[in-house]
Amino acid sequence: METSMTGKASVGPARRRHGELYNAWVTAREAFWIAMEALNTHKLRSFLTLLGVVIATTTLIVVMSVINGMNLYIAEHIANLGVNTFILSQYKWAQGYEAYLKARRLNRPIRMEDYKFLKEQLVGYKTMGATAEYGGRTAHYQNQEIYDTSVVGVTPSMIDIGQQKVDYGRYISESDFTHSAPVCFIGTDLVNKFFPNVDPLGKEVRVSNQSFRVIGVAEKIGTTFGQSQDNFVMIPLTTFQQYFFNRPELNISIQAWSAAQMIPLEDEVRMLMRVRRHVQYNQDDTFGINASETIMSLWQRLTGTIFAVTIGVVAVFMVVGGIVIMNIMLASVTDRTHEIGIRKSLGARRRDILTQFIIESAVMAGTGGVVGILLALLINIPVQKFVTSSVPPSAIVVGVGLSVLVGLFFGIYPANKAARLDPIEALRAE
Amino acid sequence: MEPFSTTEPEVGTGRDGYDSPSPDNIVILAQDLWKTYDMEAISVNALSGVSFSIVRGEYVAIMGPSGSGKSTLMNLIGCLDTPTSGQYWLNGRLVSELTDDELAYIRNKEIGFVFQTFNLLARASALHNVELPLIYNGTPPAERLERAEEVLRKVDLGDRMDHRPNELSGGQRQRVAVARALINNPSIILADEPTGNLDSATGDEIMNLFERLHQSGNTIVLVTHEHDIAARAHRIIHIRDGKIDRDEKVG
Ligand SMILES: Nc1ncnc2c1ncn2[C@@H]1O[C@H](COP(=O)(O)OP(=O)(O)OP(=O)(O)O)[C@@H](O)[C@H]1O
Ligand SMILES: [Mg+2]
Repeated sequence: METSMTGKASVGPARRRHGELYNAWVTAREAFWIAMEALNTHKLRSFLTLLGVVIATTTLIVVMSVINGMNLYIAEHIANLGVNTFILSQYKWAQGYEAYLKARRLNRPIRMEDYKFLKEQLVGYKTMGATAEYGGRTAHYQNQEIYDTSVVGVTPSMIDIGQQKVDYGRYISESDFTHSAPVCFIGTDLVNKFFPNVDPLGKEVRVSNQSFRVIGVAEKIGTTFGQSQDNFVMIPLTTFQQYFFNRPELNISIQAWSAAQMIPLEDEVRMLMRVRRHVQYNQDDTFGINASETIMSLWQRLTGTIFAVTIGVVAVFMVVGGIVIMNIMLASVTDRTHEIGIRKSLGARRRDILTQFIIESAVMAGTGGVVGILLALLINIPVQKFVTSSVPPSAIVVGVGLSVLVGLFFGIYPANKAARLDPIEALRAE
Repeated sequence: MEPFSTTEPEVGTGRDGYDSPSPDNIVILAQDLWKTYDMEAISVNALSGVSFSIVRGEYVAIMGPSGSGKSTLMNLIGCLDTPTSGQYWLNGRLVSELTDDELAYIRNKEIGFVFQTFNLLARASALHNVELPLIYNGTPPAERLERAEEVLRKVDLGDRMDHRPNELSGGQRQRVAVARALINNPSIILADEPTGNLDSATGDEIMNLFERLHQSGNTIVLVTHEHDIAARAHRIIHIRDGKIDRDEKVG
């Protein structure tokens, strides 16, 4: 064996063969494998130890996924009233309960006269349309039926607002509207149920003993909060008046030319309506003007609350998980005192031992984070059946990152304890 | 206190081509080392005033009855333990004044220590045990393995590399401990009964290994109970009740 020639030890900072950084990398890698091995040899103990971190990460990811999915969904479907469109209806949406109770007393429905009034008085808008809805109907075709269908009376202009799109056939026309034609434009749920292999156009669908000839089919929209948005029969508003309600309560959709024009146009409508209804200057509106922002702001308030609660829960679990990890690490330091003695006697410095145990703690917690994410992905599968949910990549980074941080932090104390052990004392421990 | 201005302890004279002791070639200088263990009722003096010096390239055997303080002394020489009182210079530096990192470096690179009780990592293979010191000076994995395999083959354990200590015989464990002590090419080898568990043939091989290391200039200090092992050294320090009883030149 070739040996180094003896010489005075050059004890100084630049004495190691490789750079300090490279040394740190070598020991860190070693520490990583030690940690993996420790986890592997004590699988059950590790799992129990990591439960806190696992639950914390899972909670975080599931909530983030649901909120993320809902955000996408709300933006895409619910808040999509049409481009640059606001809706005049009896109530303002998304207001507090108190305000709602008050509005119940004071607000009056929007009627056909209001629609005609606005069509005459309002200037500068792009499109205006009105709808009236009669929900919870049962639709029939031959001997088949579908429940919970909404019959919606619409003006032909509603197609320009863009909530619905024509898949095939056509929408309600001006002519249908003026003649109160018994025709309908149906959602995909009805098509799937009644006409799986048949061309629906020209077929007669019955709702509440009234027959409507199918003239068009809408593009599929999807579900919101588990509720299908494609279960509808749209008919001319005039037909709706004739067959269902003579004086229907309306929602009026008004489309502006641009986003910038929205507010002025809303103000215009508000002023016209207040004058028309003789609302005093110091009284609240007796109607509601609703835009996508109304829904979005409600949703954001809600998610804000959910998120704050989640952060609290996650923080508690993480701290509990961290303390458990710290305890296990302390036990591990005691268990492995002899090993620490061996390592120190072979030249491990304080920082090597410190790194080893901190990395072990971080790897342990990080594994908890990874398990938590996998669990969240698993939970997400059934959850997706009820609410839209999608795991954002950022959630994975945050989940693992947070766990690792918890491991690093709660590893400091045990690692420091290990690093400070006296080599000979440690060697004596068995 | 100037280390070399005090009364020089008795040192080996310059025979066999070794230099006479001088401040330049003294590797180990111990002066009035005491080690006292305070037990509940009594206090035990494991070492009671030990002074000696060892020059570079010397081959020293330490002998003495069980409990006489040999291991205690080795631990002090190996910078693993600190004396209750007294001074110890290694390569001209007062060990009590070295920082933690400097001590770690010495344990890693300057000294190869063979423990009486081996002190192997129970959960690691022989190979991993042997490469351990290399981890703490940042040797890359490939080189670590290569060198660990090489030194394991030298102690005749080429076919036992993947065995854990509890899958090895006492003598094989001892050889793993020897291999680990040699892996960093330390200039000082401290071995606490390195042949205690070996049959005479295997023990001879280890001793031949030490012989070669000594010939290439390394300083060797070993503890033994066996006279024929001690006879291969050039100097025997006899210890009794924590004191140097006799310090004789042999060979
Ligand atoms: N940690 C300790 N606490 C108390 N007493 C100790 C301790 N370590 C050693 N001793 C005592 O110090 C004395 C010297 O012990 P040491 O291990 O140095 O003996 P030794 O010469 O190596 O013996 P052996 O040949 O049996 O290995 C013994 O009496 C022992 O009981
Ligand atoms: Mg001993």
